[in-house]
Amino acid sequence: MSRVHSRPIAFAALGPIAIGGILAVRADQLAPLFAVPAIVFGVVAATAPALYIATAATGAAPPVATVVRALVTALGAFGIALVGLVLPAAFLSLSSLSITTTVVVTSAALAGAGLLALRRLAGELGARSLGAAVVFGVWSLTTLGIAGRLWADFAWEVIS
Amino acid sequence: MIAATELATPATSAALAVIDQLLRDRDGMIARIRAGTQLVAIMRTMVATIALCGAMIGAGLGSYRGGVQIGYAAIKLPLVLLGTAALSAPALSAIGASLGRRARLGVDLAMVMASLAYGALLLAACTPLVLLARALSLPYHHTILAVVGMFAVAGIASLRMVVHALATEAAPGWRTAVVGLCVVFAVVGGQLAWALRPYLVRPRAQDLAFVRALEGSLFDAVMGTFASARGRYAPDVNANDEGWR
Repeated sequence: MSRVHSRPIAFAALGPIAIGGILAVRADQLAPLFAVPAIVFGVVAATAPALYIATAATGAAPPVATVVRALVTALGAFGIALVGLVLPAAFLSLSSLSITTTVVVTSAALAGAGLLALRRLAGELGARSLGAAVVFGVWSLTTLGIAGRLWADFAWEVIS
Repeated sequence: MIAATELATPATSAALAVIDQLLRDRDGMIARIRAGTQLVAIMRTMVATIALCGAMIGAGLGSYRGGVQIGYAAIKLPLVLLGTAALSAPALSAIGASLGRRARLGVDLAMVMASLAYGALLLAACTPLVLLARALSLPYHHTILAVVGMFAVAGIASLRMVVHALATEAAPGWRTAVVGLCVVFAVVGGQLAWALRPYLVRPRAQDLAFVRALEGSLFDAVMGTFASARGRYAPDVNANDEGWR
């Protein structure tokens, strides 16, 4: 893997670990530190091949190397956005008495960063056809749905 | 008559020139910040401006009650403004960078500080109005509304400067970056201001504290108020009648 790819991946790992750290501090548990990056990388690893296959089936997929580069860039964008939101999220969490606030704040940060990453991914892949746009929309909703459900289940377990 | 700048030291003259440019030629100030020249000197001036102007308007608010509250509010308001900027500015850089904008944390921080300094200068210009409210014994809630109006005007002016700066840059994702900054700034600023309240205190108030004990976040209070509105009262909700001020 080239140096160009290692930096976004590092950010993609650092951001979720930092957000998980906020929940870990409030919940007095180590699990969030590992769970957040696991959900992010796990869901992307599970759904990314489907994006390439479905887009290729519409006849509008860019070369596989371009798709991989776009996914890595989008993951990096996700991590950078999270790193920028860590300070406000930590402040809001630590200045609150309720752990529910921590869950709301960290969820909002993850959701915001996820939407930014999807927007970046769409830009990197480029709108090649209506079919590709529909595939991307369905894939985005599916990925967000899976990740959102996993995160919600995990957060619920932590606070209950 | 000798101009004030002639009496000042070179460093003070330079700082006054920066403030003058901020008030008269914001496009020039934006271009100067974007060029990245003298960024440290500009930042230093902006921080000092926010601290001084925040202290002025804080002292004005504190004067409604008088006594030690003048000092309390004069210390707390600059802390709210500077703390919010420090916590929120990285979000502007990060959101922009995630959408392909060139990441320049120093420039973005200076831009946010300059916008806040402009707003703080406008607030400082409103201080006599706060003093007038006290002099005329304007009722407490009328004064609160007047202060909210002043902060709204200053906030909109600050926001306009940031939007203008990013719009002329026309980098990818600048609109999203501005929206993200506004959301983060509003939430963090609201919570920090909430944590360090009170600022404007009724003249008859007896027990004054620098800050109140941590009663939860602004979000907790909003949720508690929603619950109360639906008829579900918590024993501790709104136990302190001084409210958010």
